[in-house]
Amino acid sequence: MFSTPSAMAATRPRYGGTLRVAMRAAPTSLDPAGPQAPDWFGSRNVSLLVFDTLVTVDNSGRPQPALATSWQSEPSNQRWQFSIRRDITFQDGTALTSDAVAASLRAVNPTWKVFSAGDAVIIERDSATVNLPAELALPRNSIVRREGGKISGTGPFTVTQWAPGKKLVLTAREDYWGGRAFVDSIEIEMGKTFRDQMISLGLGKTDVIEVAPEQLHRASAESSRVEHSEPVELMALVFARDRQSADDGRIREALALSLDRASLNNVVLQSGGEPSAALLPNWMTGYAFVFPSNVDLAHARQNLVGVRQTAPWTLGYDATDPSARVVAERIALNAHDAGLALQPTSSAADLRLVRVPLVSLDAHVALAELAKSLGLTPPKYNGNSNSEDDVYAAENGVLQSQRVIPLLHLRSASAVQATVKDWHKARDGSWNLPGIWLGPGMPGTDKP
Amino acid sequence: MQSARHHAVYNSRNLNMLIAPSRCPRAAFSLLLLLLCVRATGATDFRAPEQQLAEKIAAVTGPGAVSLQVINRSSLSREESDGFRRGLLTDLSALGVRFVNADQSSATVQVSLSEDLRNYVWIAEIRQSTNESSVVMITTPRPEAPAATQELSALTIRKSLLWTQDSRILDVAEVPGNPQHLIVLDPDNVTLYKFQNSSWQPEQTLAITHLHPWPRDLRGRLQLRKDHLFDAYLPGVYCRSAATSTLTLNCYESDDPWPLGTDQFPLNGFFSHTRNFFTGALAPGVGKQTTAPAFYSAAPLPRDKYALWLIIAVDGQLHMLDGITDQTAGKLGWGSDIASVHSGCGSGWQVLAAGSSDSGADTARAFEIADREAVAVTQPAEFSGNITALWTESDGANVIAVARDLETGKYAAYRLTITCGQ
Repeated sequence: MFSTPSAMAATRPRYGGTLRVAMRAAPTSLDPAGPQAPDWFGSRNVSLLVFDTLVTVDNSGRPQPALATSWQSEPSNQRWQFSIRRDITFQDGTALTSDAVAASLRAVNPTWKVFSAGDAVIIERDSATVNLPAELALPRNSIVRREGGKISGTGPFTVTQWAPGKKLVLTAREDYWGGRAFVDSIEIEMGKTFRDQMISLGLGKTDVIEVAPEQLHRASAESSRVEHSEPVELMALVFARDRQSADDGRIREALALSLDRASLNNVVLQSGGEPSAALLPNWMTGYAFVFPSNVDLAHARQNLVGVRQTAPWTLGYDATDPSARVVAERIALNAHDAGLALQPTSSAADLRLVRVPLVSLDAHVALAELAKSLGLTPPKYNGNSNSEDDVYAAENGVLQSQRVIPLLHLRSASAVQATVKDWHKARDGSWNLPGIWLGPGMPGTDKP
Repeated sequence: MQSARHHAVYNSRNLNMLIAPSRCPRAAFSLLLLLLCVRATGATDFRAPEQQLAEKIAAVTGPGAVSLQVINRSSLSREESDGFRRGLLTDLSALGVRFVNADQSSATVQVSLSEDLRNYVWIAEIRQSTNESSVVMITTPRPEAPAATQELSALTIRKSLLWTQDSRILDVAEVPGNPQHLIVLDPDNVTLYKFQNSSWQPEQTLAITHLHPWPRDLRGRLQLRKDHLFDAYLPGVYCRSAATSTLTLNCYESDDPWPLGTDQFPLNGFFSHTRNFFTGALAPGVGKQTTAPAFYSAAPLPRDKYALWLIIAVDGQLHMLDGITDQTAGKLGWGSDIASVHSGCGSGWQVLAAGSSDSGADTARAFEIADREAVAVTQPAEFSGNITALWTESDGANVIAVARDLETGKYAAYRLTITCGQ
């Protein structure tokens, strides 16, 4: 005989309660097709609560059915057909139809030819689009019913209170096609600084908060439940103009070689990311290490032999990002070591320090969206190929243009109260709030 | 688009049969038999991708002297990466490439064995004296993580893997006979497999129709029947098999209660069709008791003149119903799922309770109730993930446990048997 164990029990999820969330993003519109908010991750997580897409992408980057139950393409990959799930309604009670889906997609993709055919939606593109299903999983392609200035989605929650940029209150839909969320409601406080969020969590006023990458270690020490994603945000230097001459190219290369990415990551960002000279992270592609990211001052100086920088370059940074100025100053010091003059500024500049989210776990889509966000020439993919080889060639092409110098990939992190159960952050940092539940001790959990 | 359509991008899951069924005698739990039951897993065959990479490298270097280095940046084992290196050298040699030290070579080739989300990514960086470096690569699918291995302990809970698949398994039932059949209940289908050529072969898939969305944490139960093959119970839905020329399945919207007990100790409970628990209404009831607190699971333990019913209420408390009184045993650290098993050992019946280990994975452990006190009678049997279902088989002799692997996300159904201690 053994003594009765006191181990924690494997309990089934419980229904009920209100989840309290704080985030930095302060979107003024819930429309996922609206202008991209600066805090993309927060806005994306909100969008997932109210809206659905035709397709989702799983943790391995594979498309999975959502509002579309299946799909097919013609051999050219220009024409696709998506079968729409039946018996779905928008939050306003209107039935989801193929017409509604087509209208929603047309509104955000004016260059696509989208039309309904029975219970299906046909999408025709000008060129082959191997990864259209993954592209349809992007939040901007959420299926939205827009009428009379109001928007409605088919997602797991319905909006019950909305103060733009400040507060959002959501209630679980009993009839959600993916199953009713475990919590009854979610209250989201928006526009909160990372510091305010940490205080709120510490006081027990909030259940889920965001954590800045550079605060990861500190937050882990202060809170027992901090989880982070794979590195999913690119920090990079982007030039305002294309390369002007061969000499300009050599100076840009010298700057890239002068960067001490490891110190930036370890010292300035407290190991909140991973140094990288690639646009896409190694965990996604497997090839990022091919682009050397080590500092090489000798090579940088050699590049500058016989080349003169006519005037110091200005390096712009986002003054609202607390770590951006420190990073910019560090980069200026690195450049100085190689013999380059760089002047950090918070106004318009020759090159900018940017942070850009990787918006898809599909490498093709992630690279294309990255290039679009950075204002770069779209990557060129070879026909119908869907291999890493193809992505590598396309990424190499973007980097060869010398418009962008990758620095780091940063993680997205969150901290949660111990009462929040089944908290599993996806690889891309997205929150699965409909799947979490509140453990014992939370006021408001239902007593059936 | 009609005839020109090609690959449907999304298709139904791949079914993986990992272990032979319990045609291997249930009682003979020797290590030898278990090993025989488990399909042998050989080393991965990398010959084709090795050749591909060799051809790409040779296309750049041409025949001649090169220096070659292989770096493993992936989850491949050292043995596998060494095997890859040997294979690559052979393939390159066949293409006229000779291997020399770096100072004597016309090209240096650094091969990195890397990986992305789904594939191995093998990259060769080639530096030639006259040219810039070239990069060639190939990708090859990474195999799924190996299946959970059989646990063989000399102790009392025996775990036999019955079935594994990507989608959620709600319940499984093994149908004796020749050939043997296995029925797998998942959220969309009931699938019938036949044991043939040493493995389970899919025989028939029967769709489960339902009007309302399934709740999260979906539960379901299979029950083998004497007058027809089986019944399936899901939230708000009852399905009954019917044999005509082929097996068919008729599903209805239904609030009929689910079977909770065994052939010997029958009891039914009403299940909430929008949640993951039983409402507490019982039919026909435990003695005079026809209601109980809402609960996740229930299990009978026979006594001399009655059956004591244990239930795990949604508040986590263990309740004991003897037909007259409802006694609360408090929170014992048990999980939400319990199931009883007639082992013939000890007092004859035990209750298996889900629990958690320090690693976050779940366990199942057997208890007896003496003087209304729970006493553990086995060591915990560990799973590689969370237990999502625990049902007693109709005859009460075994328990079906379903667990979701923490790493792979796959579901695996096991038969749990309690054998007498040595």
